[in-house]
Amino acid sequence: MAVMDPHIEVPSTGSAGEAVVVARGVEYAFGSEANLKPILKSVDFTLEPGEFVILTGPSGAGKTTLMTLIGALRTTQKGSIKVLGTELLGLSAVGQRDIRRQLGFIFQDHNLFDALTAFQTLRLAMELIEPRPSYNEALDRARAIMTPLGMGDYLHSLPGQLSTGQKQRVAIARGLVNMPALILADEPTASLDQGSAGAVIDIIRERVTQSRTAALMVTHDVRLFDVADRVVRMEDGRVADAA
Amino acid sequence: MRDSDRKNSGLFVLARNILHAFSPKRSSFGMGIRLIAFNPARLLAAFAGIAVAVAVMFVELGLLTGLLNSQALMASVVRGELVVLSEARTDLHKWNDLSRIRLNQIAAADGVERVIPMYQGNMGLSDPDTNTVRRILVIAFPPEDLPIAIGDPEEIARALRTPNTILFDRRSRPIYADLVLGGEAEINDLSYRVGGFVDLGPDVIHDGVIVMSDASYFARFPAARPIMGVIRLSPGANPDEVRANLVASLPDDVSVFTPDELHQREISFTLRSAPLGFLFGIGMFAGLVIGAITCYQILFNEIVDRLKQYATLKAMGFSEGFLRGLIVEQALVLACGGFAGGLFFAWICYAYIAEKTALAVQLSLESVTLILVLAIVMCIAAGLLALTRVSTADPAELY
Repeated sequence: MAVMDPHIEVPSTGSAGEAVVVARGVEYAFGSEANLKPILKSVDFTLEPGEFVILTGPSGAGKTTLMTLIGALRTTQKGSIKVLGTELLGLSAVGQRDIRRQLGFIFQDHNLFDALTAFQTLRLAMELIEPRPSYNEALDRARAIMTPLGMGDYLHSLPGQLSTGQKQRVAIARGLVNMPALILADEPTASLDQGSAGAVIDIIRERVTQSRTAALMVTHDVRLFDVADRVVRMEDGRVADAA
Repeated sequence: MRDSDRKNSGLFVLARNILHAFSPKRSSFGMGIRLIAFNPARLLAAFAGIAVAVAVMFVELGLLTGLLNSQALMASVVRGELVVLSEARTDLHKWNDLSRIRLNQIAAADGVERVIPMYQGNMGLSDPDTNTVRRILVIAFPPEDLPIAIGDPEEIARALRTPNTILFDRRSRPIYADLVLGGEAEINDLSYRVGGFVDLGPDVIHDGVIVMSDASYFARFPAARPIMGVIRLSPGANPDEVRANLVASLPDDVSVFTPDELHQREISFTLRSAPLGFLFGIGMFAGLVIGAITCYQILFNEIVDRLKQYATLKAMGFSEGFLRGLIVEQALVLACGGFAGGLFFAWICYAYIAEKTALAVQLSLESVTLILVLAIVMCIAAGLLALTRVSTADPAELY
């Protein structure tokens, strides 16, 4: 049973009851002005604190683009996206970076540095926290994140010494270690076996439940839909339905 | 310049990145080292490539300074506060002589204790084993007071007081007959006794040196005139004042220098008269380019191999400055490792060159510092160039 460390402070998600993500009339297109290819067409979307939402739909539906816009990884072109109370439309590059520091990213690939141990990876992520934790604080914090993931004994292992599933868990721990108010995950279980995938989803679910963190996950895996509070289906750049 | 402009200027950014890379507050300090050291084979190849470039720079610089110092050797061994030369003698390899009267006039000037004349000429040293005669530079002076530092003055004086005695420069190129202490040396068909050895060294023109007393020299060249006068000042005399007085009182057929000025004038003349600085500068530049390309290639590969990881850091909110710090840290590791290897290669090369050419090629603190700075600048410049690849790491592409 995973247990959250009571000493870890969970950041505020803005004023009480305020949605973590509010997107209104979001449009996005790729390509040059003469040859624009619209990807998102007037998307409205809301994500509340403590809510676990799965974003699904066929390839090219615009779900990944929406997630990268919410994650301030792309610049919003049209419409309004408020993340943690900050309007992303017109936000500077530094402002986007500051928003990203409050989010937890989990990618399809683990993208771990082969030269860094799991603890070094997490400690690197902790550089983004102010004040920066001391070595011992960082170690405690890393242990508190890694143990529930079944990785407590692998803190000082290099990626080369871990299985694919274990690497992905380290990547998940990296996304969670700074107690983000919003977790953005893209097919985080794609490279995992069923058992590992279940454990990963449980961890995210538990974080959402216990600390009222919001989570938005893109996945095609219908077996995971049950754990979500809501499943949002996108088609052709629009939100088709939400269940 | 506005403050914001200053903060974005290249040097400011570079300084900030270097400071960031080595900030003790950074808990990821050493991460760059870990990244670059993770692939030892690649790291060693990088060190070797940069070491070759560093060694090339060292050798070019060493040859240049060795040549220049060899050309100005006589000025650097002067034992006196001032030196007087013929005004027409624009460099030390031009042998315009001086009137003895001038030396007497100088000796009588206020603040001058004495003037030691030096004579110089070329003679032929025979090698009975090969039946050949090789040209050798002969330097002569009064034995009681040595004008140049080439060994123990008392030993040299004692040896030179014996008529027809010569001292052989043991740093001469190994092309001459083997001379032994107490043995005979045939010079210009006359036999001399080898009374000992001195340490001076050859230059580009002269392969070796023989020292004899002025009396022995006059016996051979009765009409010889001094080629240089080394001026010893009275205790407490101010060299600048004495020189000013001499220049004001003497005709303008002589020039008076301090030894340092003469040394500098000789180096300037050599650099002006032959494109040595340019030629060796090109060689050093070539080394710099080789090193920069090697370093760039290594860092570029390092970045490309880990582009997704760098993009992940950007997605997490790490600044471009942090990434620059990582690359600068790796560049500094390459610079230091390559420099250490290059210094070792250079040390071997210098020993070999010095043995083969007998030129004054040696590692100095100045040359080591200069090459270290160049190696660091070279690697950081290559790193910053490779950084443009990191800028292309789009975190949005990770999804």
